[in-house]
Amino acid sequence: MNSTVQKNKTWPVIFGILGVIVMILPFFSGPYIQSIGRTVITYMILAISWDMLIRSGQLSFGLAGFFGLGSYAAVLSAVNLHFNPFISIVFAALVAGLIAFLVGAVVLRLRGMYFAITTLALGEIFRIIIHNWTSLTGGPNGKLLPKLAFDGASIPTYAMMVLFALIIIALSEYFKRSRIHYALTAIRDNEIVAKSSGINIYKYLLIAFTVTAAIQGAAGAGFAQLYGFVTPESSFNANYTLIPLAMTLLGGMYSTWGPVIGAVLLGVLGEFLKLYIPYGHLVVYGIIIILVLLFMPWGIVGMAGRLLKKGESHE
Amino acid sequence: MSKKLSALTMMLIVLFSSVFFLTSCKGKEEKPAEPIKFGGIWPLGDITGDQAAKAAQLVVDELNANGGLMGRPVELIVIDSELNPEKGAAAVERLATVEKVDFFVGGMSSGVHLGQIPALKKYKKVTMWTGAASSTAETAVGEGQDWYFHLHPWDYNQGNSYVEGWDDIAAKFSNISIDRWFLAYEEGPFGSASFAATQTLFSDMEIDGEAFQSAALGGGDYTAVLQRAKDYNPDVFIWAGYAADALPIMEQAKAVNFTPPLFIGAPPGWPSDFGDSALAENVTLYGMWAPSISKVSAVSKKFQDAYEAKYGETPATYFAPLGYTSIEIIAKAVEAAGSVETEAVIKALKAIQYESPLGETISFSPSNVISNQGFRNQKILQWQNGNQEVIWPFEFATAEPAYPFTR
Amino acid sequence: MNKKKIYTIAGISAALILSVILLIIRPTILVYGIQRAGIYAAIALPMALVLGIVHIVNLAHGEMMMVAAYLSYFICTTFGIDPLVAAIPTGIIMFFLGLIIFKTSIAHTLEAPELNQLILTFGVAMVLSQSVNLIATSQPRKISLDYVSASATIGDVSFGIYDFIFPVLAALFLAVLIYFLKKTRLGKAASAVGQNPRGARIVGINVDLTYTIIFSLASMIIGVFGSFFITKFSIFPAVGGTFTMKSFALVAMAGIGNLPMVIGASLVLGLAESLVMSVPHGAGWSPMIFFGLIIIVILSRSFRSKQ
Repeated sequence: MNSTVQKNKTWPVIFGILGVIVMILPFFSGPYIQSIGRTVITYMILAISWDMLIRSGQLSFGLAGFFGLGSYAAVLSAVNLHFNPFISIVFAALVAGLIAFLVGAVVLRLRGMYFAITTLALGEIFRIIIHNWTSLTGGPNGKLLPKLAFDGASIPTYAMMVLFALIIIALSEYFKRSRIHYALTAIRDNEIVAKSSGINIYKYLLIAFTVTAAIQGAAGAGFAQLYGFVTPESSFNANYTLIPLAMTLLGGMYSTWGPVIGAVLLGVLGEFLKLYIPYGHLVVYGIIIILVLLFMPWGIVGMAGRLLKKGESHE
Repeated sequence: MSKKLSALTMMLIVLFSSVFFLTSCKGKEEKPAEPIKFGGIWPLGDITGDQAAKAAQLVVDELNANGGLMGRPVELIVIDSELNPEKGAAAVERLATVEKVDFFVGGMSSGVHLGQIPALKKYKKVTMWTGAASSTAETAVGEGQDWYFHLHPWDYNQGNSYVEGWDDIAAKFSNISIDRWFLAYEEGPFGSASFAATQTLFSDMEIDGEAFQSAALGGGDYTAVLQRAKDYNPDVFIWAGYAADALPIMEQAKAVNFTPPLFIGAPPGWPSDFGDSALAENVTLYGMWAPSISKVSAVSKKFQDAYEAKYGETPATYFAPLGYTSIEIIAKAVEAAGSVETEAVIKALKAIQYESPLGETISFSPSNVISNQGFRNQKILQWQNGNQEVIWPFEFATAEPAYPFTR
Repeated sequence: MNKKKIYTIAGISAALILSVILLIIRPTILVYGIQRAGIYAAIALPMALVLGIVHIVNLAHGEMMMVAAYLSYFICTTFGIDPLVAAIPTGIIMFFLGLIIFKTSIAHTLEAPELNQLILTFGVAMVLSQSVNLIATSQPRKISLDYVSASATIGDVSFGIYDFIFPVLAALFLAVLIYFLKKTRLGKAASAVGQNPRGARIVGINVDLTYTIIFSLASMIIGVFGSFFITKFSIFPAVGGTFTMKSFALVAMAGIGNLPMVIGASLVLGLAESLVMSVPHGAGWSPMIFFGLIIIVILSRSFRSKQ
């Protein structure tokens, strides 16, 4: 193991490649694996988008809110405006992004817990409005999509999700390399210093919040296009906030590959456990989350980075 | 050191999971298709799904003890839906392509079912569904799906049967008046569909309603809705929520001194200890099955005895006899058809007259959208001396209605 | 410190004015509002304590309450005692359960990135609720008690009076906690740790021990509340989940570290919700009040503090 560490300075890339391989494998297997794959990718996209914002230190609990908003935007636009699946996904991203932009203009002045709880409350408010606006949204019973993307065929829909994931991975990597990243990390490390050095904190936070919300909206739209329905309960489920967070922390924060690895591991593990422990698999799942956080507090990518630093002197 | 170890462990998990990917898709393909396979999908963490799956296994054991179906052993593979649409849909894919089952059974929760319908439509295997009352799910299944059999009544079926039931009861017992209704409904799809259905079906009567947040979804305070109901002064008060609401509603109704002449609860299941409370007395309820049905139905008694003998508990929800029905009805059709071919089984199912452990004998016929709907009726029961007694339909009645509700 | 007092006074007087208006329009709104507020405050106080001193968001908060409720339920059914008596053994057991949870898991992540505690406690929540699900099934349980239906009639209005036990309980929790934090040596040390852990360590306070004791104490309060919880509510494995979020929201609204304000925040929310629910067909919108108010309060405070 040590020799590998010494040969490769870029562990995250190895893990990333591994993750991509795991994403491609399902093409050569059956619909079941592809179905698991689609779910894993949905969570992966959410996890990456959450990580893109946390790089600035802003903790969002609003994932489920924008996810649900996006899925409703997709279904309602497809039903009422007859948008085709792809346009409806783009439309959903725009709606989520626009709302995030408007809301973000106000709430992005909050920090820490206060920002977190406000994003959570916003998500709940979206849900309550959609729940009660029966004439448009179908109320508690939700709405059906007349026609699924690719008629629900397994391989094309999986390909669509892989493409989606690759776009988001590329976007996240772009974010990491562009000046937005330096601005955001400067905010995270020391906001006052960042401010005094002339960085327009607010502008960059607003960009990051809008873009990540748009991604979350698009992920929700993708979900709606895959399963053909929306209901307030399932589209705004708190799992869409909590599971991606857990995945990111497991894989490692502040990177693109951390969320990718975390999503693949936890997603596959969940399904695997269920088949072998029909009763009580979620207990084991919870225990694994606890153990990983106790013994690998910086996630897999962070751990790899630390091993690397230990293996050789400073870069 | 331990950190390195755990990193190594995670590496192994990565490798292991990719191996799992490969084996699960390649390895099981050559499995011989000798037994007749049923694939079941229920939420095993929930009492409804848990008991439905157990009851389904009971039929399989009984069939195998009698030499199987057409000389072939019978196998049931149950996958947990986790009450999650994505997981429910993945379970359909797994059962169809990896386990290669012959029939799909299962079902509880309309939300999960909506996510499964596209996958079920892809395989068009004979599907016997025990859950999902929402007519949105019926629309999603759509017309002309001959392979789809739905046992659980749709929301409007239930509403219809209540109208019929109360008309019957009011005709037979002249002292019972049912002119003014108040419906307290939980704000989710279950409750609001009940309210919408009741409003249209009882349109010739005075009717009002109010939503509340069910304890199952974080609520549990009914004082506001009870206060509204009390001010309305109805002949009939119905609450449509979940089992967790049952006893607290009674307690809070007593606290605000609300005693309508008919106090009806319409949750999908009751807490098993509800009957122990003095407040349960004379509460009327809707349900598909209760242990008291075994007093008037031999089929129900046989089912209940077998279930109790095997699992050492009384079935607490009607999902247990529904789960039993889902397998046995297909098994009977397979026997009649002499084949497991989809076409032949569908034909046999359409012709079947099945004596169910829920009491009534059912056959399949079209409902509003789909071609094969099984049960349509709910029963009207009443808590009397800690037991659920049937008061309607009169053919299954185990007791006369106690009226008016007092405490 | 002065600022806090101003907020407290402002909050309380706003609640008082609202109360008087409500009392005139419809007295039951006030009664139910205060009862609701009591439940909110009683469950949010231990979270406020943990968040204010140990600085962790415990996502297993509601699940610990659920476990306490089950413990209490089984103590009651096994020994045939009343839940309100069972509150004492439940509280003691929960003190040690909190101790175990803290020592075996949370304590080891205090040095790690802040968020790790969040996901760690999410894992704990999952393990707790799913374990209870395995042991006790998802079937709801409720002990049938006569006294919870105790009723009072004023004029032509009848209402339940038992639920006033919750505001009393919340006030009791607050009084005990304030006394503890202000008057005892341990409590004073804990307050110091809450305000500045590094400074406290330098002064020679055993920070780790303080964290452990505070977390266990909060667990004990959760335990006592769990016993009261089963008198009014049915319990099932998922019952705790929503209380985590509600408590967190209330603490954020009150301001982290401000225990008395939790009562104020609860009163405002309880009364506002009660008001909306009394409007015909308003129940569907009552959760909106909860989240809307939270956002408004948090935002307005941030604006004020910027000025």
